[in-house]
Amino acid sequence: MPADRIGARDILTPIPSIILLDGKIGAVALATTSAARTDEAALIRAAQAGDAGAFEQLVRVYDQSVLRLALNLLRSHEDASDIYQETFLRVYRNLHAFRFDCSFHTWLYRIVTNLCLDYLRKRKVRKEEPTVIATEDGPLDRMGAVPEERVDGDPQRNLFSKELKDKIEQVLGELTPRERMVFEMRHYQGMRLRAIGEVLGTSEEAAKNCLFRATQKMRAALGAFL
Amino acid sequence: MNCEDARRSLPLMLYGELSFDDEDAVEVHLDKCAGCRREMAALRKIGSALEMRELDVSPFLLRQCRQRLQSSLEEERSRSGFGGRVTAALRHAFSGGFRAPRIVRPVSAAALVALGFFGSRLVSNTSVAGLHSASVLDPVARVRYVEPAPGGKVQLVVDETRQRVISGSLDDEQVRRLLLSAAKDSSDPGLRVESVEILKQDCDSNDVRDVLMTALQHDPNPGVRLKALEGLKPYARQPEVRKALAHALLSDDNPGIRTQAIDLLIQNAKEQPLIGLLQELLRKESNSYVRLQCQKALREMKASAETY
Repeated sequence: MPADRIGARDILTPIPSIILLDGKIGAVALATTSAARTDEAALIRAAQAGDAGAFEQLVRVYDQSVLRLALNLLRSHEDASDIYQETFLRVYRNLHAFRFDCSFHTWLYRIVTNLCLDYLRKRKVRKEEPTVIATEDGPLDRMGAVPEERVDGDPQRNLFSKELKDKIEQVLGELTPRERMVFEMRHYQGMRLRAIGEVLGTSEEAAKNCLFRATQKMRAALGAFL
Repeated sequence: MNCEDARRSLPLMLYGELSFDDEDAVEVHLDKCAGCRREMAALRKIGSALEMRELDVSPFLLRQCRQRLQSSLEEERSRSGFGGRVTAALRHAFSGGFRAPRIVRPVSAAALVALGFFGSRLVSNTSVAGLHSASVLDPVARVRYVEPAPGGKVQLVVDETRQRVISGSLDDEQVRRLLLSAAKDSSDPGLRVESVEILKQDCDSNDVRDVLMTALQHDPNPGVRLKALEGLKPYARQPEVRKALAHALLSDDNPGIRTQAIDLLIQNAKEQPLIGLLQELLRKESNSYVRLQCQKALREMKASAETY
């Protein structure tokens, strides 16, 4: 597979485990063994039978990727934290109804993507919350309040001008919630379009069209910066 | 393949979503079409720019979310108890896990109503007069249930967090445990600063040093990180502390912290691994003092300022 592809993290069997990099939780790796699948099924059955420890283990397998999806979609720690809570509370309340008709990852992602889509739709209805809000300490840029953890002293940082950053946020904000979701899952979560279609209850072709429209809109808006 | 088809396929090719044959056809087209090659290059640049905005989940945020979920789950479990298990079993039965005979269903529904009725009787009663007034309720109190009561009254079930004062020295196990927890887990940066400030008096202990090293590397608040770094100063020769300092030097966005980190690392040892660290730092450091210290240390160690 060419190294210059975007988000070339294949998700064949989405059973992630957390990798510690230099003492920091750095990435979610995806195991693909049938043993991992069996372990997960056993964990789900134990959690369904009321084993609190098994449920906690299940949460810990997936919670970082759920939180990352919500954080990158909603760009707010508070909102991402709320989505995290609501997702896993719904999983807890409805796990008894999980029948292994699909993978647990797909089932979980249906819950989190539906919650995020609802949230994005509400934001659209509200015509986008202002990025600058008044606080006791004066005006605060909500986007600026979220730390840019990927930005470091790299020389590329100079190229990533504030203007470009604002434009990217603007164009992402103008995508439809579904385009935004497909783009997020493909670009940042590295999910295959087929898996995205399955999560969103649509076809691979429809997910492909969403991704195409999203990249076209970004190409049109960001062309002047390249 | 014409340009229109190729341009439609370019984003999919970039994401590795084309079949082998389609990808081959696009590559053949790109070999002979400069316009589409430029388009592909533009899409790659957009991809790189988008990478820069990705937010990573900090261990701090993840821990906060897990703790909040843990509390919610405990509430959920304690609220359900026996009644909850029966309700879950009935819900399970109706959801298809167990096909209850038709006649059983009204009986089960009646059981649910009865559970609600008797359950409400089990909740202790407090008159409104006993609750002071709504305005002086604990600010973190949560109203769980609201029910109209006879005589135009309202009955509320409220969860309250009660405060209590604990005092003792740092040797006191409970005080120590609470302080360590406040330094790591509190969502209030002021409280974390205060806790680290007190804990750093007892940095001889491994548990305190571990908390300070974690705070230095991962706390989102620079004030807390600075306090933690101050506490670690006397231990700057220890390998694990040096590792934390090196992490701060390379990744902390606060120049004040990087300045102190480099001073500590250079003063306390000038060993071989430090050379690589300083060379890496020099490639990206923008603060002139840190750069100067870095170059000076490399000169003293007779090392090049560049990597090859």
